[in-house]
Amino acid sequence: MFGLIGHLTSLEHAQRVAQRLGYSEYSDQGLDFWCAAPPQLVDDITVTSATGQTIYGKYVESCFLPEMLSQRRIKAAIRKILNAMAAAQKNGIQITALGGFSSIVFENFSLKNQQRVRDVELDYSRFTTGNTHTAYIICRQVEQAAPKLGIDLSQATVAVCGATGDIGSAVCRWLDRQTDVQDLLLIARNQERLQNLQAELGRGKILGLEEALPQADIVVWVASMPRGVDISQIPLRNPCLLIDGGYPKNLDAKMQQPGVCVLKGGIVEHALDIDWQIMELVNMDVPGRQLFACFAEAMLLEFEQLWTNFSWGRNQITVEKMEQIGTASCKHGFQPLLSF
Amino acid sequence: MQELAVRPEFDFTSEAYKDAYSRINAIVIEGEEEAKNNYIALGKVLPDHQAELEKLAKMEARHKKGFQACGKNLSVTPDMQFAQDYFAALHGNFQTALAADKIVTCFLIQSLIIEAFAIAAYNIYIPVADPFARKITEGVVKDEYLHLNFGEEWLKANFESVKEELEQANKENLPLVWKMLNQVEADAHELGMEKEALVEDFMISYGEALANIGFTTREIMKMSAYGLTAA
Repeated sequence: MFGLIGHLTSLEHAQRVAQRLGYSEYSDQGLDFWCAAPPQLVDDITVTSATGQTIYGKYVESCFLPEMLSQRRIKAAIRKILNAMAAAQKNGIQITALGGFSSIVFENFSLKNQQRVRDVELDYSRFTTGNTHTAYIICRQVEQAAPKLGIDLSQATVAVCGATGDIGSAVCRWLDRQTDVQDLLLIARNQERLQNLQAELGRGKILGLEEALPQADIVVWVASMPRGVDISQIPLRNPCLLIDGGYPKNLDAKMQQPGVCVLKGGIVEHALDIDWQIMELVNMDVPGRQLFACFAEAMLLEFEQLWTNFSWGRNQITVEKMEQIGTASCKHGFQPLLSF
Repeated sequence: MQELAVRPEFDFTSEAYKDAYSRINAIVIEGEEEAKNNYIALGKVLPDHQAELEKLAKMEARHKKGFQACGKNLSVTPDMQFAQDYFAALHGNFQTALAADKIVTCFLIQSLIIEAFAIAAYNIYIPVADPFARKITEGVVKDEYLHLNFGEEWLKANFESVKEELEQANKENLPLVWKMLNQVEADAHELGMEKEALVEDFMISYGEALANIGFTTREIMKMSAYGLTAA
């Protein structure tokens, strides 16, 4: 049994979903209510692999909302994630992906030091951030979508925004080792981490956002911020492939420049329909088939019976692990999303 | 995002802390006393299970003594009158149900509501408790998790026939819990316990019990949030 811990994208979204599902107790409530709401196992999932193998999973709604971070309700945010993890473990789920902000909250607030949640001693080997698969899918999106726009990777400059993060650094490693990308532009807030990454790669230019973006043929956006950043006023190249791998995915609404193609990053399509409701609620274009790659990682680990925290800790993702999860991804019928 | 949820330091000897403690400690002591009496009363109407229920009553009495020691340790006199008034409505509902032979309602009040309320309060209290009280409370929580919740098991075994009464009893009694939580919000805050954390923990424990008894997620979400915002 695999699990997915997810959340909705805003208070307004949460209210709408609750209304639609008929939970009137939840639908007209403000942030205070969500700060006190417990996690719920709201969906049963059946997935069949391209190999014919079938697995079962559960979706755990953590009741976390990004407003908890932007409005400094940090304790509530932490409780949501830990309680959702405890709920997953208590229900006997062997491998659970921490979707959306869950892994970011876990990492940034060092929740690994809070292993005890009521009567549950969290066993971290049962959880994965799913970031290895996300990073792999984003890299494959770069490799496969660029030629469609007439961008030749060997002559392309790729800017990675959020380069020092778990996913960003993995994307840099892959692009450096597995492709012949001409130039890498590294963008992040922490200079020390940027220099460490540059030293590790032995290449890459450290630049600010406004300086880097106009030079890039491809922009990989993997920064996750509760409030987001408006980059619509920065002039981009024509053509430019913008891979929106951040959270929430809202760059396409903001980007109106000619020649800029925005691709939802870190999204996979499954070859067969998945029996669940939840992707409809998070506004996937093809809810029966499209899903976050981090969620798909939990499915892959279940298919492969690799019940372990495959992606864990910060900046531990190697190219070899990306290849390993990538092989499983192809085998079981997952494809990177390539439609703009 | 780098800010950490740092554990605050408390002055357990300050007048403000002790004043708040005099009420919270009394509530806990009274809660254990209520639990003891409720189990004894239920034992009398369920003679087949009397021995088991009396064992539970004894456990609750032991817990009560532990919490009395916590008050003494901080030189606090628990305000028992406040606590009895605090539990009066829930107590009244239990007595009315008992008199009307509504065992299902009695179990909902004692084994689901009071137990979940206590567990939530203890869970939230432990990280901010003084060292003496922390040890006592950790022992109590361990006890609570270890013993099989008799009422929960009884309701589970009779789920189909008790479901309707449980839903009705939930409507009658859960709003009292939210009122009770509101009433001590300031005192709990003085002790480092946030209301939203208490509510959340209560809903988790209560929801787990309802799930174990046989309710679906949809029913649990409705039942466990019933009356919360009206309170």
